Amino acid sequence: MKVRVDSERCQGHTLCAMIAPEVFRLREIDGHSEVIDEEVPAGQETQVIEAVNSCPERAISTID
Amino acid sequence: MPVSTEDVVNDDERKSNRYHFDRHTPEYRRKFEEITEEMQGRCPVAWSDTYGGHWVASGHREVFDLARSAEYLSNDNDLKGERRGYKGISIPTPERMSTVRGGFLEMDPPEQRYWRQALNPYLSPAAVSRWIPVIDEVTRACLDERIESGRIDFVDDLANIVPAVLTLAMMGIPVKDWTVYNEPVHAAVYTRPNTPEAVRVAQLHQEMGRHLYGQMAEIRANPRPGLVNAVVTTEINGQIADDMELLGILSLIIGGGFDTTTALTARSLEWLSDNPAEREHLSRERDTLLNPATEEFLRFFTPAVGDGRTISADCEIAGTRFKEGERLWLSWAMANRDPSVFPDPNKVDLARKGNRHASFGLGIHRCIGSNVARTVFKRMVVQVLDRMPDYKCDPEGTVHYDTVGVINGMRHLPATFTPGPRLGAGLEETLEKVQQICDEQRLAEPVTVRKAQAKISG
Repeated sequence: MKVRVDSERCQGHTLCAMIAPEVFRLREIDGHSEVIDEEVPAGQETQVIEAVNSCPERAISTID
Repeated sequence: MPVSTEDVVNDDERKSNRYHFDRHTPEYRRKFEEITEEMQGRCPVAWSDTYGGHWVASGHREVFDLARSAEYLSNDNDLKGERRGYKGISIPTPERMSTVRGGFLEMDPPEQRYWRQALNPYLSPAAVSRWIPVIDEVTRACLDERIESGRIDFVDDLANIVPAVLTLAMMGIPVKDWTVYNEPVHAAVYTRPNTPEAVRVAQLHQEMGRHLYGQMAEIRANPRPGLVNAVVTTEINGQIADDMELLGILSLIIGGGFDTTTALTARSLEWLSDNPAEREHLSRERDTLLNPATEEFLRFFTPAVGDGRTISADCEIAGTRFKEGERLWLSWAMANRDPSVFPDPNKVDLARKGNRHASFGLGIHRCIGSNVARTVFKRMVVQVLDRMPDYKCDPEGTVHYDTVGVINGMRHLPATFTPGPRLGAGLEETLEKVQQICDEQRLAEPVTVRKAQAKISG
């Protein structure tokens, strides 16, 4: 599974990094999210889907 | 516009799930769990005839789907009738004609996004963590004022003060002026309209407005770092908004920063007093338990109980057909008690997992200050647990807000505890020191300019 954050849509709500800290990190400046690695580490898929569903801006997408 | 028979029939059908919903009554506060269960079971989206008629969403899935449908919702408060005449986020519309809209919470994108982008560098997790030594120092001083006496009012002596002082510090307003803001902000929430008390609160509000306006003018003339400076210098489409609009933004920051965190802290401390075994558990296991416990208190007490919206285009969401112009109440508080998402929803479970609460709102208007709220709450609670571990709240003197239509908060929460030694200076002296540190270290700069944490020496 691959995961992406649309940096145009992200507004720094920080939910994804709380749900899946091993997948998303927050930029210091504005709390906007970026993926640490596009390839989702094994065992993190559930958290990533939870993050996709929780994002207030619908800025996160996955590709199987 | 003539109304056809077909429209009337359709309307009856669309609004067939009806519930007389009045969240501003003491009865709603008393029967909150019962009403929530009934609405979620029978009509998770209901039409209520109250306040000119409006929809009420109480189910978690319904609230979640609606709140995230930004293309069909508007937060706009069109005070001057320049756009579509929408009424913002308050239901009912406040009686006194307001001249100030509620900042970017009563705006739609793209304007709303520009404001959030301008303020995020002051409120991001990294930005907020710079303030932890200041939060700790003010908290310490508040507790020191009471520690030798063995008595404290957790609202008046702690939970009102720390969020207010920190919010003003972040704005770039002198922290010693917290008293000018404190009472009007809290009292505006719990004072009933058309009472002598309301007249006094209105006067205090005007005084606060004048002070805030003065700060805007002062910071424009002699810029100093902080959220006020960010607000007065933000250009949207090459223009600075008019002063009333700017005051609305600043009032939103103050309203969001003060009463909500106070409410969360008071209600949580009261619960911990009633559940001493859980309190001891939380204190002992704080490294792992404090984070989920904070989310659980947020869920269970939901300080800001909901938000109004206007439907901006005909649509069907979560199984209900809405018409443009209709009003909608999104109940974060009721969504937070939905058993399909939160097993045993009316029980506090400090270790609750997967806590997808709606307490900061959902969707594009989600609280911009959530990182501040969480941090301030945790730092206050930890110091209370350390310094007043056996505190016992006094139900006689405890005063909850009569109604929970806007904020689920408390006016007073007195407690007694085994006295202890002071650790440092009192509040007044500490605020002077904090002001000096803010000024010298330019703490209120955005994190883009200043990255280091505040330094507080002995």
